[in-house]
Amino acid sequence: MTLRAPRTWRSLSGCRLGTRAETRPLVVLLLAAASLCAATDPKAAAEADQALALAHEGKYELAIPHYRAAIALDPKLPGIDLNLGLAYFKLNRLSQAATAFERAAKADPSSFQARVLLGMAYYGSRKFAPAAANLKLASAQQPDNTELRFKLAQSYLWSKQYPQAIAEFRFLLARNPDSAPVHMLLGEVLDAANQPEQATAEFEAAAKAGPREPEVHWGLGYVYWKQKRYDDARREFQAELANQPQHAQALAYLGDSEMHADQSQAADHLKQALKLDPKLRLAHLDLGIVLAASGDNAAAESHFREAIRLDPKRPDAHYRLGRLLRSLGRTEDAEAEFAKVKELGEEQPQPPLLTVKP
Amino acid sequence: MRHALLAAALLGALWAALSGQNTPAPIHFAYRPIDFRLDSSETPQRHAPETMAGGVAVFDYNNDGHPDIFFTNGADIRTLKKTSPKYSDRLFENDGHGNFKDVTERAGLAGSGFDNGVAIGDYDNDGFEDIFVAGVHGNRLYHNEGNGTFKDVTHQAGLDKPDAQYGPLWSVAGAWVDVNNDGLLDLFVVNYLAWDVNTEPPCEASPGQLDYCHPKFYKPTPNQLFLNNGDGTFRDVSAEAGIRAHLGKGMGAGVADYDLDGWMDIFVTNDKLHNSLFHNKGGGKFEEVAFETGVALADNGEFISGMGLDFRDLDNDGYPDIAFVALENETFPLFRNLGKGGFADITQASGMTRLSTPMAGYSPTIADFDNDGWKDLFVTRGHVQSLGYATHVQIEQPNTVFRNLGGMKFQALTAEAGLAAQPPSRHRGSAIGDLNGDGRLDVVVTALSAPAELWINDSPAASHWIEFRLQGTKSNRDGIGARIKLVAGGKAQYNQVSFSAGYASSSAGPTHFGLGPNKSADLVEIRWPSGIVQQLGNVTADQVLKVTEPLK
Repeated sequence: MTLRAPRTWRSLSGCRLGTRAETRPLVVLLLAAASLCAATDPKAAAEADQALALAHEGKYELAIPHYRAAIALDPKLPGIDLNLGLAYFKLNRLSQAATAFERAAKADPSSFQARVLLGMAYYGSRKFAPAAANLKLASAQQPDNTELRFKLAQSYLWSKQYPQAIAEFRFLLARNPDSAPVHMLLGEVLDAANQPEQATAEFEAAAKAGPREPEVHWGLGYVYWKQKRYDDARREFQAELANQPQHAQALAYLGDSEMHADQSQAADHLKQALKLDPKLRLAHLDLGIVLAASGDNAAAESHFREAIRLDPKRPDAHYRLGRLLRSLGRTEDAEAEFAKVKELGEEQPQPPLLTVKP
Repeated sequence: MRHALLAAALLGALWAALSGQNTPAPIHFAYRPIDFRLDSSETPQRHAPETMAGGVAVFDYNNDGHPDIFFTNGADIRTLKKTSPKYSDRLFENDGHGNFKDVTERAGLAGSGFDNGVAIGDYDNDGFEDIFVAGVHGNRLYHNEGNGTFKDVTHQAGLDKPDAQYGPLWSVAGAWVDVNNDGLLDLFVVNYLAWDVNTEPPCEASPGQLDYCHPKFYKPTPNQLFLNNGDGTFRDVSAEAGIRAHLGKGMGAGVADYDLDGWMDIFVTNDKLHNSLFHNKGGGKFEEVAFETGVALADNGEFISGMGLDFRDLDNDGYPDIAFVALENETFPLFRNLGKGGFADITQASGMTRLSTPMAGYSPTIADFDNDGWKDLFVTRGHVQSLGYATHVQIEQPNTVFRNLGGMKFQALTAEAGLAAQPPSRHRGSAIGDLNGDGRLDVVVTALSAPAELWINDSPAASHWIEFRLQGTKSNRDGIGARIKLVAGGKAQYNQVSFSAGYASSSAGPTHFGLGPNKSADLVEIRWPSGIVQQLGNVTADQVLKVTEPLK
């Protein structure tokens, strides 16, 4: 399991790094009207002008056919691909935006705007490897643009280029040592790179820098939980719940951590978690275990089956259900679950770090 | 000035005493070198066998009463031949004081292939321990000729045939066990996975950096059971015995009679698969009951990297428990035998989850290292991945001994036990025995591309001990499978004769008991595999006692 929740800590536009300088936009997005004026084909220029006028009014959907018509008439119209890409970008049609930005970047490889926008189009469409490649080229032109480098660092993280991500986040921390989000993200990289001690240290720094920061205690609790430091994890999940009482995952993992100490407490938290999010597989599995231990076999079976329904490829719920059914004398049903575990043994998911070389 | 210095020194000593700095750990080892270096032919291509080598045996090859050491070794990975003396298996003879002399050449044990594991047992009951060597695409059986030499009898024994369906198998370990109580040791062979140097997939840890592949990229293979015909030959009964149908990626086998029905059972750890427990029903038939008995998976229901194991009574209730090890974040699981045909996972309750989560282990051995009457757990540590993977996990690790505090609670001792005296390494196999005859169990450990380590037990307590060297008459001569109950100071302890312990290794010395302050055992009861029960009263401590099976 990897740290998934922190990916939603900050939206593209909502990143807060702590200083005014760092919150400046990645790039000033100006429509390239001046460039378009240099068009030589009058029909193409007219289509471009109309497109720009519509875009200025925010009518991107209407502007696009005019951009395309202008391109058809004069594919080399300066700035036209950038503006078409922007229209697509504004409409969140990121794949088409990327295609247009690719053409713009190819036409002018030194264009900072084209490179940033291309990187952000890939970033928005979760294609983090090409996002990182383009944002890296852009950041070479503006090495002090911390917002840009934050996006670059995230792109490295989510394209699993861990050493590069670590370097970028460390650069950002050198600029702003008290940024809880950056500490958290660096913690996430280190966790993904299987460096639990360093990851823990970063999450601890994040919690110290921003104890009220949403998700900070959740992230720290999660790395403790992964290390099976259940007492520490429990404390952090409780702290997260103090900040965000409706945090379903924190409730579920709090319950799971309590499974290793006091199962009676665990049940309440697991039930609360499932009320908030009935799709939490771990909570169903754990609640099944607690209920089976207390003799409520029918309810336990129901939760095990729900855990299996949510992720039939994991062996644990099959194993638990099989053991419950066997204890109830339902030998054939139990055997079926055990057989499923054996079957899954040969279908295990790819490990995160070792993959067959293509 | 001198007075001031003296006062400071005294104060320092007092502080050290108060803070426990000078308090030696109850279990302690001192490092001793031995002239053996495990060479598994590590290549940049990272072929799987390169990281799995390293079995070792402690046994008395010449019956002089002193435990000797046999190391298996690798070979050229492409040819699987020992193309250089650096790949030689090695036999070291003990002079009785823990000093070792290389007698490999004279013994004829240099070997020829890529050897992985070793199992010691006197399969022909002639009074001399024989050697089974498990290897990659080729096993060897060496008969002890009784004159300091061994003869390769693999072909005569019928143990050189490739599997009809799977071809040559990669055997990692073996276990000698009399499965039908006919007085002859049979051979259980643990096979890992289907591997071929020419078709093995290249696996990347990161772009451009190859590392050892996850086991899921290889097909499972069957384990094998060879029945001893009593004439120097063996018959593969894997299919009819109910073993062959259960494919796995075996890493270790432990033998014990877990349900005390008089038939020896076999537990097998598998790598990233469920474990197997072969319950011996008698008549040469087994049923696989890992799921039914609760030992298929740890309680969390996940597939983990099951490595070596030991199968002995840890809580002195007379029922053999199971300890095995795995990689970091997988814990070193402990299954407590509930005595009703089932086991409970007590990894969390015993404290082992917390202690072992950061560790990667290979070879666990259950034995009483401080002679306090509770068996402890020595674990060789090191990761399966290559040194290049060190940015992701701790590859080289020190060994650790988990001291049994009683009540199935454990304390991890590493530096405290002296085990940080050597740099961390990629430790693999281990075997135990009293190498210097001082009544304390020592440990021999192998490490990949590194010197082997002798850990001489110098634990501080002057506790008493006793060892039993059994000699079967109706039962197999080694007494493998015999259960020994010992009562001293009003407390009972149990162990069984089994030479299979740890990863790919064999500890074939006498069966050891720690007696704490007791200078004698009030009662010793031996239940031989033949069914004969033998009792001894008031047995003096601090000796190796030879016990011969009575005729009835």
